[in-house]
Amino acid sequence: MSSLSSPGSAQSTAQPIPVTEPVVPARRWWRPPTGNPFARAAYLLTLGIVTIIFLYPFVWAVSSSLKTRNDFFDNQARLIPRPFNWVNYKQVFTGVPGQVYQAAFGTWLWNSLWIAVLAALTVTISSALVAFAFAYFRFPLRNFFFGCVLATMMLPGVATLVPTYLLWNKLGFTGPGTFLFLSKNQYPLWAPNLFGSAFYIFLMRQFFLGIPRELFEAARMDGDNYWTMFWRIAAPLARPAMIVTAVFEFKANWTELQKSLIYLRSDATFTIPRGLKNLLDLYGPSNGGHGDYQVIVAATVLATLPMIVVFFLGQRYFVEGIATQGRKG
Amino acid sequence: MATAIAAAPGPLARARRWFAGFGERDTWAAFAFLSPWLFGFIVFTSGPMIASLVLSFTDYSIIQTTHNVGWANYHNALHDPYVRTAMRNTFIYTAISVPLHVIVALWLASLLARVGRFGGFFRTAFYLPQMSPSVATGILYLLIFNGSFGVLNVALRYLHISGPYWTTDPNWVKPGLALMISVWGVGASVVIFLAAIKGVPQHLYEAAAMDGASSWRKFRDVTLPMISPAIFFVVIINTINGLQTFDQVYTAFFNQSTPYGTNASLMYAIYIFQQAFSFLKFGYASALSWLLFLVIAVITIIQIVASRRFVYYEGQR
Amino acid sequence: MQGWRKALVLATMLASIAVLAVTAGLASAHGNKANIGNGTLNIMGFGKGDDVAETRAAIASKVVGGTINRPSGSFNDQTFLAAVASGNPPDLVYLDRQKVGSYAAKGAFMPLTSCIKSQKINMKQYRQAAVNEITYKNQIYGIPEFYDVRTILVDNKVLDQSGVSIGALNPAKPAALLAAAKKMVKFDSNGNVTRIGFDPKMPEFFPLWAKAYGVDILSKDGLHANLNAPGAVKALTYAMSLINAQGGWNKFKSFRDTWDFFGSDNQVQKNQVGAWPMEQWYYNVLASGSPDVHITALQFRNLKNQPINYETGSAWAIPKGAKNPQAACAWAKAMTSVSTWMAAARNRAALRKASKTPYTGISTGNSIADQDIYKQTYTSINPFFDEAVKKVLDVQRFSFGIPASPASAEFQAAWQNAVNRVLAGQQTPKQALDQAQKEATAAIKAATK
Repeated sequence: MSSLSSPGSAQSTAQPIPVTEPVVPARRWWRPPTGNPFARAAYLLTLGIVTIIFLYPFVWAVSSSLKTRNDFFDNQARLIPRPFNWVNYKQVFTGVPGQVYQAAFGTWLWNSLWIAVLAALTVTISSALVAFAFAYFRFPLRNFFFGCVLATMMLPGVATLVPTYLLWNKLGFTGPGTFLFLSKNQYPLWAPNLFGSAFYIFLMRQFFLGIPRELFEAARMDGDNYWTMFWRIAAPLARPAMIVTAVFEFKANWTELQKSLIYLRSDATFTIPRGLKNLLDLYGPSNGGHGDYQVIVAATVLATLPMIVVFFLGQRYFVEGIATQGRKG
Repeated sequence: MATAIAAAPGPLARARRWFAGFGERDTWAAFAFLSPWLFGFIVFTSGPMIASLVLSFTDYSIIQTTHNVGWANYHNALHDPYVRTAMRNTFIYTAISVPLHVIVALWLASLLARVGRFGGFFRTAFYLPQMSPSVATGILYLLIFNGSFGVLNVALRYLHISGPYWTTDPNWVKPGLALMISVWGVGASVVIFLAAIKGVPQHLYEAAAMDGASSWRKFRDVTLPMISPAIFFVVIINTINGLQTFDQVYTAFFNQSTPYGTNASLMYAIYIFQQAFSFLKFGYASALSWLLFLVIAVITIIQIVASRRFVYYEGQR
Repeated sequence: MQGWRKALVLATMLASIAVLAVTAGLASAHGNKANIGNGTLNIMGFGKGDDVAETRAAIASKVVGGTINRPSGSFNDQTFLAAVASGNPPDLVYLDRQKVGSYAAKGAFMPLTSCIKSQKINMKQYRQAAVNEITYKNQIYGIPEFYDVRTILVDNKVLDQSGVSIGALNPAKPAALLAAAKKMVKFDSNGNVTRIGFDPKMPEFFPLWAKAYGVDILSKDGLHANLNAPGAVKALTYAMSLINAQGGWNKFKSFRDTWDFFGSDNQVQKNQVGAWPMEQWYYNVLASGSPDVHITALQFRNLKNQPINYETGSAWAIPKGAKNPQAACAWAKAMTSVSTWMAAARNRAALRKASKTPYTGISTGNSIADQDIYKQTYTSINPFFDEAVKKVLDVQRFSFGIPASPASAEFQAAWQNAVNRVLAGQQTPKQALDQAQKEATAAIKAATK
């Protein structure tokens, strides 16, 4: 049976076995071995330790955001702040004593929110269309185009930073003013997503390729056209991949600093990462600040919360499975 | 399709068939689906890419007048000892971090796939480091990997191992960074693997169970081939990202407030950034970027060719 | 089977939004050009700041009039260069003086000759070392603002505990200083450093050490590097011997990384360091975090036992192509004048008094303002801090800076990399500085071609 790992034989295993019994409760095989208490204990222990390691940075950040400035760098790895210094969160908005700067957190939040939502929606739809083209169709230049998709990821961003800025400048999006009700300066942060993004095109292509081709053939027999094949079969079956895309892009946009540094030129257009950079600039010791990192971390914790909510809402779709649903039909 | 392969047509026939492809309805439909990307590529992506290629043959500095310098930038790059150092570091870092990343992500994804209750909590927890403030992970890196007092080395001391100076010893900087980024940076790959694992048809496992396969065999012979497209994706993407690694290394060693970067931590992308925005040598930086582009392209092509035997697409025949 | 057309429709919609955006953008790009010279002063790198910044900005705004546009955030090379590349530079930038020199030498900034003349700016009021930093080929390119000075900060308690006399903490007497460092350093049972005796602050303060050994690492005109002069090699060798005598770089830095630098349990409060050269702003940190520490400020002295001070700071500069250079010039003058600094200092002193937090003064690039600020606004904290603040003010007379160079960034990278290679044990000081000298010379040559 050592040849099981080769694709050919996996396929041959796959095809002849019909799903005769009612579908087994989805997660059965994955359950920890219930028969063996030791194995189960080992599993839970591993899960616990790994979870602690992964929770640590955020828990540390939350804990530090509640410490006083004097305790912030105490390096005692003490996770329970003593006392709980809630004023840090207030000072995120009002500024620390001696600083007249007030974080416009509401503005940043609103800008980041709509830009990230728009970016996530557009990139998911456009990348899914393009990925479907690469996965389903066979057409001349397909491999060349796919090579181009990959190639756009291979050139370091530094090389195209200035030319891209000049392009946006030529198009008139680097000056003040609005276009279609939205601030011009903010377009470079999301509008490129209308045209798909290499990472997500590649990601969804991989998932579309996993959909058994018979499903499309059958649909075609039933009178489906290209569009309904995409919309009714490919998209729903790859829903986990599409939601992964939306969530990833939301997160990517939520934390994007480089573009917002270059394109955003007035405080009213600032996003959260750009705003946080201001705080870091201001409170860092090199600019006459006193290293009020507890307020900076409080601000970043606040900024992280919406991202966690979005991820939490999205994550339950990640485990839906893809081809299994197709198999049932 | 089978007949076409059997016919083994000559080059002329193949070319004719290739052109005939443009007449097919499938092709037009494909181009319709492709059009958003095609438009964006032509208008927004290829322009700046070509511009940077052109600039790589000049001494563009934004401020001063630009001259054509021919191949000088490429010639200099090949003779620049820092380019060699940075390239070597980047290769070493990528060679350590990509396998580590894939293994950790696979392991965590299969761990997560088994979680019954509180699945949402655990899935969110594993992605949390990627959402956590980078200020926090930056500070924590220096604390945890501290050679004398860091948690890691204190733990190793209990095992009677004297841990290395992860943040200062030139030999241990790259493994330390790779370890940190591979562990806390796997969230995205875990999510992708998890989605792929959950898509593996259940009956394959039952068939394997009937053959009396152990859970390791089931993982190796069923899960791995079935999620190979996702693995392929993660390997390719992480290799590309690894060779362009910048963020964490820059914050840890090359920031204004942390000027401790050495020959050991100089990554290629950091060198490009310095050349461009510190030294204002955009022409040189563009040439360096295109050299990296070539290197990445070659490595990616090798990976794609090598992976053909291992990647199995359910939907492909 | 017409469905692919729907895909086409959707795609066309996406594409046409883009086309619309492009055309409308092009149309409005033309519209923008009419706005040139509308009385707006665009400032980069000087967003809303602390009370000192805002008090002065309010005064300067009144002087300049019109609209002041100053988005938040510090100076960022990428933002600035993108703006320059597009032909729309800001009218005024606020940045590190080292960067002013470098950008000026490359031709990104205007010489301020006519600005100084028309606004009758008295350049004598600014500290000479600061002005030198932003002078290239006899042209002045900036107006100095803040001024960082470096003194040796001593923890008296560590001295007392280890029986070291304060006279030993003098770089002019290398052997005595090394012996003192050895006396003060402490290790735990694992051999880890738990107290540093004397931290030479490498790589950051290498220019200071080289100067102490008689070497200007860059010539006055900024065109000749002196990185491998025998004195510079000696200075680095000595600084390394200090570190090696205190556990070596790995243990030394690992311990230093654990300091609670900005907290009340900082390294001085916890007596984790005997002495080290440091910027003056740290007295402010200490005064508010742990005002009860017993400290002494010492001048850093060269081998001839003369005080020296390595200064750095920020400045105002006007980019070439600025649309409103007169307003920019007026702003820079107003921000750095004696009366403006005084107003800011008075305000800060009052604020600190109201909040019952210590006030250590402001260190500016304007020597007249500095004297007045100290005389008229400083109120005693305790003898230790009073003495330190006085010393900080006094040491400014002995300042030197690194001159403007067309390759400042490359020059800095060259010596910093060299020192880091030595710290990491990859090269000897001689090898490293020889290499740095070669790199710096090549960079300057390339930049002046």
